[in-house]
Amino acid sequence: MTSICLYFEVHQPFRLNRFSVFNIGENNKSYSNYFNKKLNQEIFEKVARKCYIPTNQLLLDLINKNEGKFRISFSITGTFFEYCEQHIPSVIDSFKELFKTGAVDLIEETYFHSLSSLYDDLDEFEDQVKMHRQLIRNLFNYSPKVFRNTEAIYDNRIAKKVEEMGYKGIITEGTEKILHWRSPNYIYKAINSNLKVLLRNYNLSDDVGFRFSSQNWNGFPLTADKYANWMAKTDGNLINLFMDYETFGEHQWTETGIFNFLEHLPGEILKHNHLDFVTVSEAIDRYDIMGEIDVPWAISWADEDRNVSTWLGNDMQIACFNELKNIGKKIKNTGNQDLINTWRKLQTSDHLYYVSTKGFKDGAVHSYFSHYDSPYEGFINYMNILQDLKQKII
Amino acid sequence: MKIAMIGWEYPPFKAGGLATHCYGLTRSLADKNINIDFYMPKTKQKVSSDKKNLIIKEIGETEVFPYDRPEDKELEGHFFESVYRYNDLIVEKVEGNYDLIHCHDWLTMKAGIRLKDKLGIPLILSVHSTEYDRSGWIYPNQWFIDIEKEGMEKADKIIAVSHFTKRVIVEKYGINPNKISVVHNAVYPLGKDKKKNIVLFLGRLTIQKGPEFFLRAARKVLDYLEDTQFVVAGTGEMLPALIDKAVDLGISNKVIFTGLLTEDEVKHIYRISSVYIMPSVSEPFGITALEAISAGTPTIVSKTAGVAEAFNNCLKVDFWDIDEMANKIISLIKYDPLHKTITKEGMQEINLFTWKRVAEKTIDVYRGVS
Repeated sequence: MTSICLYFEVHQPFRLNRFSVFNIGENNKSYSNYFNKKLNQEIFEKVARKCYIPTNQLLLDLINKNEGKFRISFSITGTFFEYCEQHIPSVIDSFKELFKTGAVDLIEETYFHSLSSLYDDLDEFEDQVKMHRQLIRNLFNYSPKVFRNTEAIYDNRIAKKVEEMGYKGIITEGTEKILHWRSPNYIYKAINSNLKVLLRNYNLSDDVGFRFSSQNWNGFPLTADKYANWMAKTDGNLINLFMDYETFGEHQWTETGIFNFLEHLPGEILKHNHLDFVTVSEAIDRYDIMGEIDVPWAISWADEDRNVSTWLGNDMQIACFNELKNIGKKIKNTGNQDLINTWRKLQTSDHLYYVSTKGFKDGAVHSYFSHYDSPYEGFINYMNILQDLKQKII
Repeated sequence: MKIAMIGWEYPPFKAGGLATHCYGLTRSLADKNINIDFYMPKTKQKVSSDKKNLIIKEIGETEVFPYDRPEDKELEGHFFESVYRYNDLIVEKVEGNYDLIHCHDWLTMKAGIRLKDKLGIPLILSVHSTEYDRSGWIYPNQWFIDIEKEGMEKADKIIAVSHFTKRVIVEKYGINPNKISVVHNAVYPLGKDKKKNIVLFLGRLTIQKGPEFFLRAARKVLDYLEDTQFVVAGTGEMLPALIDKAVDLGISNKVIFTGLLTEDEVKHIYRISSVYIMPSVSEPFGITALEAISAGTPTIVSKTAGVAEAFNNCLKVDFWDIDEMANKIISLIKYDPLHKTITKEGMQEINLFTWKRVAEKTIDVYRGVS
């Protein structure tokens, strides 16, 4: 038997307002001008219409139709739920309905989709994970057993911490950097703990996430039966297909046939007797550990480099990251919840992603996701806001 | 292939980007085994070539510069006459076995059209700027527009320095877009030097180049960072007015007007400046931006400038948006990581902007007509 573990990442950042050097120190009390409410609402409502609402409905239908044999998992950020609450609360209800089917698992992560796992001390990371845990408990009355760090960032230190916090498994990228000759299609364990590690099969995942509508790819056009056949021929216990939820209807538009593909996928996969679906919790319960992975330097699922250079690849990104990190203690000591919350919203990794100057291929992806004209604009804006925040605590 | 190229300026005789372009283009064409006779007016400076298949032919003498305006006092009366005289002279002097004629901008267009008929060979026209650009889109002069339009209509192929310029040629001159190719400019990299706290403007001091916006942004920056030095390099009809403006703004002690600089001085000022700004109202390309970037100087250009559509690692602003211009200047001075990163990435990207590439694309255009 080979199990398909399908998992979706659901996230929206709070994008920043235009903030010039002349705005620094202009307003002593408020932080509300940091975030671009109008743009954020527009984007959220657009993506909800194109992706969240129709895809949730389709998945619910598919689960019902396949009597629970179609099983999936979600990782949903705290910032995403805040968007739902503010603009379209029914999206939360539709996630609750999905969860009620029993065929859906939820994954833990940092509430703010931040890089706090890369700070010198892991206390802020722990706080943000606990915030997410509390949120999921409140909304779903559930405690996730599997953890997925921001953009699958992983190293030995993070694994150790995640195990200490009580999780049974963690998700990261199935890159050759850590696997060498080994297959991602098995369960591994972290070298320094008993935490089970689920590794993303990036070839098969990216066939859908990135290449689905790419006409100069030799797999084009990708149909559900073709894709199911590829999986039927794949060796191993477990095929981890992890992708952005926005793949459906947003990164890949309706016109590409992505919904049609998704609609037929469960049926086509279940036609093969040796294939079934599992959630992330079921995957780690069902399969035994096949080997160990040792990751002294952080990896991730982003860009071609599969490391953290997407967020910390140039001097501008490192400067912003350090500014944020270094004011942490002072901010927390104020005890001002509004201030702490603002600081945390600024930690969302997307802000650093917009400042990436990486070369052509990845750069094209970066600019697709960015509302700035260039990484330099992204830096100026972000840094100006960080300077303003800093002035507020002196 | 043998080309008769009709120009106006060529280094060391230089009034603008046209000379820089002709120099880089002809030398790289020569390296690709194209034979070029480059025709230009005789000047006081000796112009020469070290390549045996690139011959500079200086003919006649003229006192009209490519950026002169007919309303200029000294030229009034004989402006049109001088232009016609030079064009007549070219038509008379250009002879030989050429495969095609290649003209640049309005000054030699008349000659290009007549030579096309006289020699029965195709005409290529490079458009580096139009009357709309040079006038800053304020009261463009119909006399130039008519010449430009005639040249564009008669040319077999047109090379525009940007998509921005291509759009102007299509929309304002009614030319078929299929006969226009876009070839972005290039630069011979200057290399960087130790930086001083200088923010630089370099260009002709005309409405088109937006020097007044530079001064107004300088005022804003100085309110924030009082130790910044501003330099306005170049000369032009607005010089006296700009000096007055600096006094009015109360920043005359922070702005240096250098007047016209020699080529070595230009290179030096690029290299030691910390920020270069090109706030042009209308800029078909803007080679100076490439020069500054190649000297390791972070550059802020007008959003509509041709270079802005071609080059990634620079900052872009609306020329009228003084606040944003000041925001970007201050950020470049204040945030070292920004200055370092944009310098590094810019100097890497500049390596893609070679005259070799310009020559290759130009040859593609030549092949399309011969």
